[in-house]
Amino acid sequence: MSKEDEFTRVIKENEGVIFKITTVYTDQPEDQQDLYQEIVYQLWKAYGSFRGDAKVSTWMYRVALNTAITRLKKEKRKGNRVGIDQVVLKQTENYDIEFEEKLKILYAHIKMLSDLEKGLILLVLEGKKYEEISLITGLTPTNVGTRISRIKQKLKTQIVEE
Amino acid sequence: MELEEMQTVWSEISNQLDKQKKLTDKMIIMMTQEQYRKKWNKIAYPEIFGTIICFGMAILIFLNINQLETWYNIFFGLASAVVLIVLPILSLRSINKMSGINFYENSYRDTLIKYTKNKKQFQSLQKISYYLSFLLIFLILPVTSKILGGKDMFTGIKNLWPLLVFIPAGITFFVFFTKWVKKCYGKNINEAESILKDLESNE
Repeated sequence: MSKEDEFTRVIKENEGVIFKITTVYTDQPEDQQDLYQEIVYQLWKAYGSFRGDAKVSTWMYRVALNTAITRLKKEKRKGNRVGIDQVVLKQTENYDIEFEEKLKILYAHIKMLSDLEKGLILLVLEGKKYEEISLITGLTPTNVGTRISRIKQKLKTQIVEE
Repeated sequence: MELEEMQTVWSEISNQLDKQKKLTDKMIIMMTQEQYRKKWNKIAYPEIFGTIICFGMAILIFLNINQLETWYNIFFGLASAVVLIVLPILSLRSINKMSGINFYENSYRDTLIKYTKNKKQFQSLQKISYYLSFLLIFLILPVTSKILGGKDMFTGIKNLWPLLVFIPAGITFFVFFTKWVKKCYGKNINEAESILKDLESNE
């Protein structure tokens, strides 16, 4: 299997994860499309240096989250976008209204957090253990724990204030 | 919504997304190619265009330095040329630094620290650039008046009224301008500082 084939397989297997990350870090559909493409591009760039010493998912989360936090905001949107609006943005069209509403609330709560907190809660929701979160984020497992309990507290306060 | 409920909703969306895989190989390759091309459109083109204009103006000043004749006009000419050369170089260097972070080698925390530091630096530079650009307006006036119009702004103009209006108006504008720049960049720089403080104090 060529490098290109392997890469496209990894992306296809994880497209849902990329979609969720882009949803958490952007507000506008256009920004989401830009970020989605940027993440795929950065993953492609980093794929050559991926030595397989970490899990593919750990590597992918690291690159994707790093791309999301460093993306230059307010850039002029130039150039063509590959038609991924059909691919990613309408993935929620089959959901029922109640679920869609819950989803909106969930994303709204996450978006109120800081960039670092967004990444942490996203990894918690993805079911990652503290050790893996520590590998991705570079924080110590104890620090991950402390920060996550602080985020939980923050989320509770947000919910009470609503 | 409690965290447990959030987790349920999250795993539900994960399941749904897994069922709806729609990306094709062609689309993925196209995305990478398109993004590579766009990189240059987004940052480099406007910056390079601005740099060419600034360097062009600096060259024009150097080529006509003899025309400036008096010591003060030569001083304004050289000062303008220095600003025109230094500003774009600093800006390009700063942008290059921001986009040069290794996404794979660095952890999320390290990337956030590096990016925030570079961003803070960039914002501070932007702030200085605004002040220097404003200063440039005054510096370049006598230079262009001499090079393009052949008139010494300080001795060759008989009617002083335009200057008497221009200088106080310029100072008033500068006061408001300074406040605006401080407001615009001060907030961003403070935010960057608090992120760094939070990240670096929790080892």
